[in-house]
Amino acid sequence: MRALLRYQSGLLLRSQRWLAPLLLYAALIGVGVQAGEPVLGALGFTAAALLPVAAWTVRICLTQEPPAARNVVAAAAGRGRAHLAALLTGAAWPVLVGTVAVLAVTAVGDRRGVTPLAAVLTGLPAALACALTGAAVGALASRPFLRAPGWSLAALVLGSLLALVTTGSPAKLAMTVLVAGARTATAEPPWLACGGALLLAAATAALACRATARLE
Amino acid sequence: MRLEHVGRRHGPRGPWVLREVSLDLPAAALVRVVGTNGTGKSTLLRLLAGIDAPTEGRVTGRPARTAYVPERFPVALPFTALDYLVRLGGVQGLGRAAARARAGEWLERFGAGEHAGTGLAELSKGTSQKVAVAQALLADPALLVLDEAWTGLDTGARAELDTAVRERLAAGATVVFVDHDPRRLEGGAAVVYGVEGGRVRRATPPGLPGPPPSLPAADGGPRPTGRGTVPAGPGVVSVGPGVTSAGSGSASAGAGPVAVGGGLRAARRGPGSGAGGSSVAGLGPVSAATPAVSGSAASRPSVRIVVSGGRPLPGRLPGDPAVVPGADGGTTVLTVDAAHSDALLGVLLAASWHVHHLGTEGART
Repeated sequence: MRALLRYQSGLLLRSQRWLAPLLLYAALIGVGVQAGEPVLGALGFTAAALLPVAAWTVRICLTQEPPAARNVVAAAAGRGRAHLAALLTGAAWPVLVGTVAVLAVTAVGDRRGVTPLAAVLTGLPAALACALTGAAVGALASRPFLRAPGWSLAALVLGSLLALVTTGSPAKLAMTVLVAGARTATAEPPWLACGGALLLAAATAALACRATARLE
Repeated sequence: MRLEHVGRRHGPRGPWVLREVSLDLPAAALVRVVGTNGTGKSTLLRLLAGIDAPTEGRVTGRPARTAYVPERFPVALPFTALDYLVRLGGVQGLGRAAARARAGEWLERFGAGEHAGTGLAELSKGTSQKVAVAQALLADPALLVLDEAWTGLDTGARAELDTAVRERLAAGATVVFVDHDPRRLEGGAAVVYGVEGGRVRRATPPGLPGPPPSLPAADGGPRPTGRGTVPAGPGVVSVGPGVTSAGSGSASAGAGPVAVGGGLRAARRGPGSGAGGSSVAGLGPVSAATPAVSGSAASRPSVRIVVSGGRPLPGRLPGDPAVVPGADGGTTVLTVDAAHSDALLGVLLAASWHVHHLGTEGART
């Protein structure tokens, strides 16, 4: 699996396909977060912005290989494992970027009533919840479920939006917890949302990896 | 490896591409899949390679080390040829150093050594195909699936791929292939499956020693039924273990004498040892005749002579044999047109060379 992850990450990093989602994230953070803003609210936005970015990155990782190269890897490693490697790569890099963003936002935000450690420990689970929810959206909106690029992109945008506003979505739950915390200036880590997102992402990955050799 | 009532269709409501495919693939067998375009040969190969899962039925006993060569491999990936092969070697379970050594070795063998540092996107179609073939052979696969892998390769690389396939067979691997050249790997194809109308039938009469003398319909078209084809049962043949073992026996017997040397050769060749091993040094100028021969000897039966020792030979040998270093480093393998084999043997014996093995080889293209 490690070789597969290296292969997928190599593809993503060397092809410079990582740049577009990263620029989107930087633009969202740049517009949405101001220095001196209450830190928990800013962290909530930082986490929420990660959702579409993670969905997009997962879609990039699932579609970046030409079919011939994908078949070669599938024969060597198994179709499901190859798919899982793409999903993990597409989810891991946004989580890494989100972690950096949480640290940066904590550094520049207004931390009245909240210690930096508490802010980071609240921001990281929120970012993880949003990144994993986004990854699940990306996995469902791409191969093997949706292969036409137009439908896939439409589903990606719509799915990301719905995942942020629908009650019951782990991302929405994390947002709610952070916004409530920002009002009362109490840092309460959204562990429930984080766990829910983990379950959702795992279930989606299992479904996608099982389906890929059957549907394609 | 066994396929039981396997069917495959694209999508949940698509038309069936294959149905009721039941077959046994014995180990160390060369399996040829024939059929016209669009009958499902590639689909069968993808099922065997594990790229696609069957819609119904099941596939069991696929070896862990499976490799697949697609028909076209002009992939635009942001890696150099060597880097790609090293990564693929890692995916196939090789360590980094081993993957690097073997990648270089296989690129050299297929004559693409100078393209090791070239980006995959800049490679020509033929060189891309060499990379595709090299990745499949990196980690000594136990199941090698070749979907018209010879297409786009130059003559030298085709012959090298033939040799590599025989090496895999000698090492006990199963090789499944589709190729539109009916003479491809002739002399070794013991098991032939025909794909037609979504069904897979065994095309060689079971138990017949060796392959049919010629395969006029191997390139496609409905196979003539009066040619010894045995469609046992209702069109679909479930090949029993008894029959297949007989088939595989004849397969290894056919491939044996030719392939064993090659297998050893692969094992013994260290990284970086070039094609011109030490054993050829004694022959000196003869090796220079190799490129000229591959063209003239094409498509005629040739004789393969494994020799060792002896005095230096005259610069020009009868029939301009192709000279390559042999299996264990001490021998030399000469391949010559059958018409000149007697004269060549005479020269070799006169120079007190020791003849280890003499055998005919299927015509190459």
